[in-house]
Amino acid sequence: MDPLTLAVWAIRLAFLAALYLFLALVVRALLRDVRAASRDPAGALGRLVVIASASLPAAGSVFPLDAVTTLGRDLGSSVVLDDPFSSARHAVLTFRGRGWYVEDLGSTNGTLVNGVPVAGALPLGFGDELQIGDVRMRLERGLR
Amino acid sequence: MTAASLPGFPRPRIRRRELGLLLVVAGALALGNLSLGLTRNGSLGLVDPAGLLLYLAALAAVHLALVTAGRRVDEVLLPAVGLLGGIGLLLAERLPQDLVVQQVGPAVLGLASLQLVWLVLALVIAVVVAITVRSDRWLRLYKYTWAASGVGLLALTFVLGTDVNGTRLTLDLGPVSGQPSELLKVILVVFFAAYLAENRVLLADARVRVVGRLTVPPAPYLLPAGLMLALALGIVVIQRDLGAAMLFYAVFLCLFYLATGSKVDVVLGIGLFLVGFVLLALVFPHVRDRVATWLDPWADPLGTGYQTIQALHAFARGGLLGTGLGAGLPTVGGQLPIPAVHTDFPLAALGEELGMAGVLAVLGCYLVVVARGLRIAAAAADDVRALLCAGLALVIGVQAAIIAAGNLKLIPLTGITLPFISYGGSSLLVNGLIVGLLLAFSDRGPVPPGEPRRARQRGGGGR
Repeated sequence: MDPLTLAVWAIRLAFLAALYLFLALVVRALLRDVRAASRDPAGALGRLVVIASASLPAAGSVFPLDAVTTLGRDLGSSVVLDDPFSSARHAVLTFRGRGWYVEDLGSTNGTLVNGVPVAGALPLGFGDELQIGDVRMRLERGLR
Repeated sequence: MTAASLPGFPRPRIRRRELGLLLVVAGALALGNLSLGLTRNGSLGLVDPAGLLLYLAALAAVHLALVTAGRRVDEVLLPAVGLLGGIGLLLAERLPQDLVVQQVGPAVLGLASLQLVWLVLALVIAVVVAITVRSDRWLRLYKYTWAASGVGLLALTFVLGTDVNGTRLTLDLGPVSGQPSELLKVILVVFFAAYLAENRVLLADARVRVVGRLTVPPAPYLLPAGLMLALALGIVVIQRDLGAAMLFYAVFLCLFYLATGSKVDVVLGIGLFLVGFVLLALVFPHVRDRVATWLDPWADPLGTGYQTIQALHAFARGGLLGTGLGAGLPTVGGQLPIPAVHTDFPLAALGEELGMAGVLAVLGCYLVVVARGLRIAAAAADDVRALLCAGLALVIGVQAAIIAAGNLKLIPLTGITLPFISYGGSSLLVNGLIVGLLLAFSDRGPVPPGEPRRARQRGGGGR
């Protein structure tokens, strides 16, 4: 084989090899992302982000949600609200089948979804705003 | 929160992964260019080094702009798209330059120069959108306005458009001409995302029984879906654009499945489309011709079946490793065997010169774009944005799949472009817009966009 043919072949194969090197690196990056996400299963169903609050929890706090999440002033609640207008056992968020539902547990001052009082179990979409007392929270999708 | 997270105070953020991948892309493109030069000139040297350097400089500039902007946006999309665009540029340099010639002022630009100009413009659009777009409110709040403008665009094309190759896709408005159906795909994804996110629970849970255990969502909520089917079939009939119709409908079904998780509806949707398609093929001759060419291109080997047969031969000549860049596509009587190779058949040219290995690598890049888009969608804060991101990525992936399958005679051939690789201004610019939106929506910044002012003040006081 003359050197030119050899060089042509070498560079052609190097080009194809470079394409696959790129793909291999990308796949490694993608796998790393997926592993990092699956290592932390908390909050896969959804997250509650506090967007405004006069007391604790402070605005900006993020709560990963379990399938049943209780909210209230009671220290046994999943999300403890230290708000004067919150009842001890105020509301419960449940994940049923495909989506989230919010239910008021007979609180004194009520629960608002997007500014409307909750009666019974109300479906809650991602991006909806939940207000208990002076604490305003937004339901966001999980990290996975 | 730190000053870096507040809008208006960007702090440069190093993007190591993107830089590493871009270096691999630059190396691969340089090797490809070298391979083309060696085959063409018989000596070690680059073909059009200025073009390659300009393109790599544009990619580097986009990378630097993203670093300076300091947003935590995706780091894999840009290299993947950059590699696809670079392969398209290589192809444009390899093909005869007089396939497309345009006079711009005193200069006469050939295929490769024009492709380079469009690619750089697409990158500019992508980076500007990626850095400036912070909220998707302007998209989701006006969904019916967007849908109406999309249908209006379609109507305008039909009334004022000019016919090219028997399809009415090009809109000439004085100095500007373009293909509005390219922009339409973005507009429709915005509408689908907003509509499906709003009716997600109803479509999935409020079912009406039809026969036995078969249930469908109630009619009023299905109306927009029915309109979509009508629109897709209308595009086939009026615009004679089979590819766009398939693309819109396939993306709609994908998003419907993502939103509701209902497999039955998707099977029903595919069934309806097939029934509609068969009816159309029976009634309209141009659809029937496409199907006939697909089933048996050898019935008219020098006429309608010519391009399809030549494409199959090109794939066959390529084999596993290809003939090498610049060594394939012999001219027949001074003409290319595939006249529309730069727009409709770039995959056939790649299949011939890079072989199956090269084609699989290119398809892998599209897969990466889709995977990345779905990942961005999975991390999105709410349903509208999730469906929007998934839809935008799927538009690119499904379009690539449809034209690749058409090139390979797996489905009837349709005249849509191979994203980022085909020559075509409208297509490249719109794909640049899609990448820009995906990048912008992949921002994992700690402050969600569109926060009410009151909340931020009170949040500050709370700590």
